[in-house]
Amino acid sequence: MTEHLVPPVEPAGPNPEVTLHGGPLPWRPVSPALATVRLIVLGVFLVVPLLASVVVAALVSPFVWLGTAALLALGAWGAWIIRRQVSAISWVELDEEIVIRKGRLFRSLVSVPYGRLQYVDIQSGPLVRAFGLATCEIHTASPESGGSLPGLPTAEAEALRTRLAARGEAQRAGL
Amino acid sequence: MTEPHDDEGWQRLHPLSPLLRGGIVMLAVLGYGVSQLFDNVLGSFDPGTVVPGDLPDGGDAGREFSYTTHPVVALALLVLVIAAVAGGSWVSWRFARFRVTARQVELRSGVVFRQHRQVPLERIQAVETTRPLLARLLGLAQVVVQSAGGSDSQLTLAFLDAGRAEEVRAHLLELAGRADEQGAWADPRDPRDPAAPGAPPAAAVRAEDAAPLVTVPNDRLFVATILHGSTIVLGAIVLVGLTAVGIAEQGIRVLAGAPALIPVVLGLAIGRVKELLVHGNFSIARTGTSVRVRHGLTDLRTSSVPLHRLQAVEAVQPLWWRPWGWWRVRVNVAGVQGDDSGGDETTLLPVGTLDETLLVLATLGVRPDDPLVLDALQGTGPDAGWVGPPREARLLDPWAWRRIGYALSPGAVHIRSGRWTRHAVFVPHARVQSITLSRGPLQARLGLASARVVSTPGPVAAVVPHLAAADAEAFLAVVGDHAREARRPATGTRGPAGAPHSVAETVDPLAPDAPPLVD
Repeated sequence: MTEHLVPPVEPAGPNPEVTLHGGPLPWRPVSPALATVRLIVLGVFLVVPLLASVVVAALVSPFVWLGTAALLALGAWGAWIIRRQVSAISWVELDEEIVIRKGRLFRSLVSVPYGRLQYVDIQSGPLVRAFGLATCEIHTASPESGGSLPGLPTAEAEALRTRLAARGEAQRAGL
Repeated sequence: MTEPHDDEGWQRLHPLSPLLRGGIVMLAVLGYGVSQLFDNVLGSFDPGTVVPGDLPDGGDAGREFSYTTHPVVALALLVLVIAAVAGGSWVSWRFARFRVTARQVELRSGVVFRQHRQVPLERIQAVETTRPLLARLLGLAQVVVQSAGGSDSQLTLAFLDAGRAEEVRAHLLELAGRADEQGAWADPRDPRDPAAPGAPPAAAVRAEDAAPLVTVPNDRLFVATILHGSTIVLGAIVLVGLTAVGIAEQGIRVLAGAPALIPVVLGLAIGRVKELLVHGNFSIARTGTSVRVRHGLTDLRTSSVPLHRLQAVEAVQPLWWRPWGWWRVRVNVAGVQGDDSGGDETTLLPVGTLDETLLVLATLGVRPDDPLVLDALQGTGPDAGWVGPPREARLLDPWAWRRIGYALSPGAVHIRSGRWTRHAVFVPHARVQSITLSRGPLQARLGLASARVVSTPGPVAAVVPHLAAADAEAFLAVVGDHAREARRPATGTRGPAGAPHSVAETVDPLAPDAPPLVD
């Protein structure tokens, strides 16, 4: 009976591997195609001002080429950020939680117990869908605590939702 | 027609409800119309007082006969209007019915657009009765049932006879506070241990006869309400202004600027007065498995929160209250937003002394005999059992870094922060929704990270900023572990009943026992 006085966990702490910068756990990355999608969005936003600046530079004043260069630099910087951000998103399913890590400069990590899941959403816009991706959104009783996992292949997102729902049902805790 | 129950248990609201729901506006419109008609009716019987140009239908003086001024027509109109209003109200009253079954509370309403709202009893988060001024005059009250579905998830029974409303509230709470979901705060090793020592057993005390645990005197509330950051800043501005008037020749100009302050003062005053009105006549009592809070100077509110619905508890002490040793106790309850519609059901003690605060905390399940609780409230530096930020954190938070920290007791996570305004947050392990870690670029440079226990929306935020990265990761592991343990169904891994609980035990063996506060 006395062994029950202490919650039955290893004294070293459970899952000591869950850290902000990954580690030996089988962290799974999201699809690299997400970076492509985001690059396309960035390109669409940049292409109009870029064309405008090229036209103005060619017709009016060569100084405007500076602006064009600045826009190109902005695009390159954005592309670099997007690649880094997408490669930083990773997730792992533990026995009782799903853990999602995001960001490099601003790192964040959210650990959502399956028992706290209220519902799971799968979303995909037209562009994302064209690449066969979907976003998996995890909702708990608190609107801020859920994690969202963008850039999962659609089949994987569906499978994840099914798994989460099943585990949520099995480990259901009240509010 | 008038029997309160029918076969299926459906009950009607009070017949005066539509009148009250329409409220003062409808009363005013009705009153105006009636008085106009009365003037005409009475006036037309007395030919001397009719001024032809004054006719409501704009009839000109030359006309000798107007329909609305004819006494019989006017009287008929008056009767018709009253009948229409009464009929409409009667129909809407006839169609609004509610019932409380073993599983849920239901409300049907609407004539054209029918609505049938049900709240399962196990989803009830809190029940309150409200008595707005007008309802108070008529001896009525409304019952609001809160469930955890967002802002529009409440079920409002408006209005019932005041006594009946109390009955319904007590009844709902009795049904909602069933034993299977209790014990969020209780020591998982010792499930039979009542959360508050000396508390009356469940359902032994009816809501009506529970003596208040703490009553807040209105004069103390008044002083505490005045002692607010905004009023103090304003006072400082006024003082500076007055001194400027006294010493400088520019004084006149300063005075000329004074009217600009009027809207600011007005805004502040409204905020303060509102707080006084809401928190006036405050008392809190424990009724079985829930706490009952009564407050309000004009609109009387009685709200009850089942203890096992509390998601997080916080004691706050603004700097200005410290000389008096006053604290405020706030809670997060799922589905209950603070500060909406003037009510503030999330404040369980607007201002109380340390003893009263500890008493309320004890009722809510935070053990006052635990040294960690006093540390959480008043500790300023490294204390035993607490893990706080390392020395590097002083660059990011030079004031509070010594005080910031977390500690674990068997039942809850304790988090303290704030040097000037002191915050002490208690989240039961069983109510941890999820845990997040975050780290900005500055924190990364210093090897720090912030940890946060996510609770349901409400005034209480449980954040431990600027922990050493390893400590933050340990927080994730240890708090996550306790939460995991607490989520398990009560039958499985709970410890033996009646295990003795001593203060020495409350420091958890899992907590990192050597707090790396100083290098």
